[in-house]
Amino acid sequence: MAAADVTAPKIQPYRTNLNVCVMGLIIFLVSELALFGAFFMYYANLRLARGVAWPGDFDIPANNTSINTLILVVSSFTCEFALLSLDKSGKGGRVFGWLFVTFALGAVFLGLQVHEYMTVGFTPQTTSVGAIFFCLTGLHGLHVFIGLLLLGLGMVRAVRGRWSPDNHVGLLGISVYWHFVDIVWVVLFTVVYCLPSS
Amino acid sequence: MTSVLRPTLARCLWTTPLFAALAVFVTFVARSIFDMQPVMQENTFLTVAYIFGAIGFIVGIGGMDYWFSWIIGGELDENDHSQHGAHSWRDYFKFNTDHKVIGIQYIVFTFIMYLVGGMFAEVFRAELAKPGMQSISNGQYNELISSHGTIMIFTFMVPIFAGIGNYVIPLMIGADDMAFPRLNAVSFWLLPLAGIILLSAWLYGSYNTGWTAYPTLQDQSPFGQTLFQIGVIIAGSSSIATAVNFLVTIIAMRAPGMTLFRMPLLCWANLATSALVVAATPFVAGAMFMAMFDREMGTHFFTTDGGGTALAYQHIFWFYSHPAVYIMVLPGFGIISEVIATHARKPVFGYRAVAFSSAGIAVLGFSVWAHHMFASGMQSWLRVPIMFATLLIAVPTGIKIFSWVGTLWGGVIRMTTANLFAIGFIVAFVIGGLSGVMLAAVPFDLSITNSYFIVAHFHYVLFGGSVLTVFAGLYHWFPKVTGRMYDEKLGKWHFWLTFIALNGTFFPMHYQGLEGMPRRVADYAPQFAWSNTVITISAFVLGASTLIFVYNMIHSVRHGAKAGANPWGSLTLEWQVSSPPPIFNFPTTPRVVGGPYRYGEEGVKHAVFPDEQPVETETTVGA
Repeated sequence: MAAADVTAPKIQPYRTNLNVCVMGLIIFLVSELALFGAFFMYYANLRLARGVAWPGDFDIPANNTSINTLILVVSSFTCEFALLSLDKSGKGGRVFGWLFVTFALGAVFLGLQVHEYMTVGFTPQTTSVGAIFFCLTGLHGLHVFIGLLLLGLGMVRAVRGRWSPDNHVGLLGISVYWHFVDIVWVVLFTVVYCLPSS
Repeated sequence: MTSVLRPTLARCLWTTPLFAALAVFVTFVARSIFDMQPVMQENTFLTVAYIFGAIGFIVGIGGMDYWFSWIIGGELDENDHSQHGAHSWRDYFKFNTDHKVIGIQYIVFTFIMYLVGGMFAEVFRAELAKPGMQSISNGQYNELISSHGTIMIFTFMVPIFAGIGNYVIPLMIGADDMAFPRLNAVSFWLLPLAGIILLSAWLYGSYNTGWTAYPTLQDQSPFGQTLFQIGVIIAGSSSIATAVNFLVTIIAMRAPGMTLFRMPLLCWANLATSALVVAATPFVAGAMFMAMFDREMGTHFFTTDGGGTALAYQHIFWFYSHPAVYIMVLPGFGIISEVIATHARKPVFGYRAVAFSSAGIAVLGFSVWAHHMFASGMQSWLRVPIMFATLLIAVPTGIKIFSWVGTLWGGVIRMTTANLFAIGFIVAFVIGGLSGVMLAAVPFDLSITNSYFIVAHFHYVLFGGSVLTVFAGLYHWFPKVTGRMYDEKLGKWHFWLTFIALNGTFFPMHYQGLEGMPRRVADYAPQFAWSNTVITISAFVLGASTLIFVYNMIHSVRHGAKAGANPWGSLTLEWQVSSPPPIFNFPTTPRVVGGPYRYGEEGVKHAVFPDEQPVETETTVGA
């Protein structure tokens, strides 16, 4: 076989369908999941394995917080609508609108969460269960807060017309992040609010 | 004057205090509003000042400039490479996006930290030279061993492999840079920050709890312990950012034709390591956060009086810190495969087995954490499964040892300094690995725990293992990085002194441990006097041998003989470009046509450049 014939058509350049930035974000979110994992590990050890009770006669407000869960799940859909409306118009208006709805839902979630903190009747210093409750929900709340900042910058860029069907990697990243925050909350809600201790 | 506005170290001089002062002010206002007594809580203010000062430093050095203008929707020049590459020595002190510059920054900084950590060791070895207390107190001894361990692990052993990988990996896979050059620069600049914070703990009464910092012992430490936690969290963020970068780079940035099984084994090792870092490092951050809240906020995570449990810290900490020992050695395994294949002129024996054993170690590494806790009073049913998993991990490690020996076997071995270090590594690592298998057995571990046998084991795997691979790698790639050869004669002196002194330092510790000498104690029974004197003398020789290395490197950068592009006759891609490589690595995109280690076959190439004719494209895997 002549040398020139064998430039190996088998060889493919390595292009992934996934944008490298989104790939990097997803790997980073795996690492974030591990950070939550550390706190979940502690919670599981405390509540599920050793059965340590809530401080005093506290009863976890599972019903009230399920409304909060619903709000966050809905916001995940509205965030996705922002991406979908991108392809149709190309202008920033509808993207801005959906991002604003998502932002508002996230802000309501955070407000209800702060309200819960104020009515819960114990502080992080009370017992170890109090500490891990505030730590888990607080770490998640911090992620919601960062998500709100990201949605805010998504809106700023939408107003300035920086998102287009060809250039929306940042918007994709924001929505991936927001879905992550949502999924973590669903797990957190199930483990902390719904599961009974052993 | 403009240098205080542009992204430089000079700008850090005002951004760092500014961020710290703002954080202190906000905390003060918040404490006043919520009426927390006492409002003037000095340690709380120091904690927030350190954390936000660190953020201010990253802003000052220029880590956020591009992203900030992206966020506000400004016009950005995608092709602005003004921060790329080093044109004078000053560029090494700036926010630089070139992976080669960042690699050198990493290596030089971490090596300075290695010398600092080594100095701590020399001081307490001097104290241990004879029985009784001589120059330092018990407390100072504990602080010295704690700083030695922390500095060596978090600011030398983990990041120096990030440095070597940074320099070599993009070149090896045919990429023009890492996937995220700015993130790469941020993750480097987090590291000096972590180093400074860990060292500044000495200003506030250092920590004396070892690098593991178990509660409830750490609750009694002075404020330096909190700085330990902040420093570890920052160093951890740095390694997570680097690992994300490595993963994306290796997955998505390979040159055409570079299939996974044509990658040099260092890339495989880094892939496995980075996956470990991403999945494991957040656990140590979690443990550090909880411990810090216990210390500074009065929570009860790990104190029994509020229903907490100190054992939980050990579980979470070791869930990171056992995988961390593989983080500290897996890239070294990759370096050894490169060095041995190149200098023995033979294909790596069992390429796929070595690649998969890296992945196997990474997976198994998560199932063995509790073997550090056999004596801790944890659930006893956990002991036997963890023991089996620990013994099992010797299998993939053994595969690697056999691969290296098989590669050397019948090769045309060139005894260059790099290869000497690689062979010395195999010897030392087998000794450390065997004592590791002994320690995995629960009954043996229970009787020998907390003795010098443990110290001997982990120094054989960390010094005899990781540090020798670092030296092998540094000697191997020195001609590529600088374009000049190092002095072989001094290199051989360095190797033999290091190797003899390493065994002289750490081998007697096996005997001491079996005889029952406890670790972490500044004084010892008189029957250990003789062996401790031998150890101290060897430790001084070990320190002196490092100075030979430093002299050799500094001298050879300026006065070494010209190396040319490929002094070792290596096939991998980084040797196919000039030394040092051009600013964007490859003049034309290389096309990979075969495995990386096909030594001994006439005229075979690993990669061709478009103006060259491919000689042979048989796609034999790996070898």
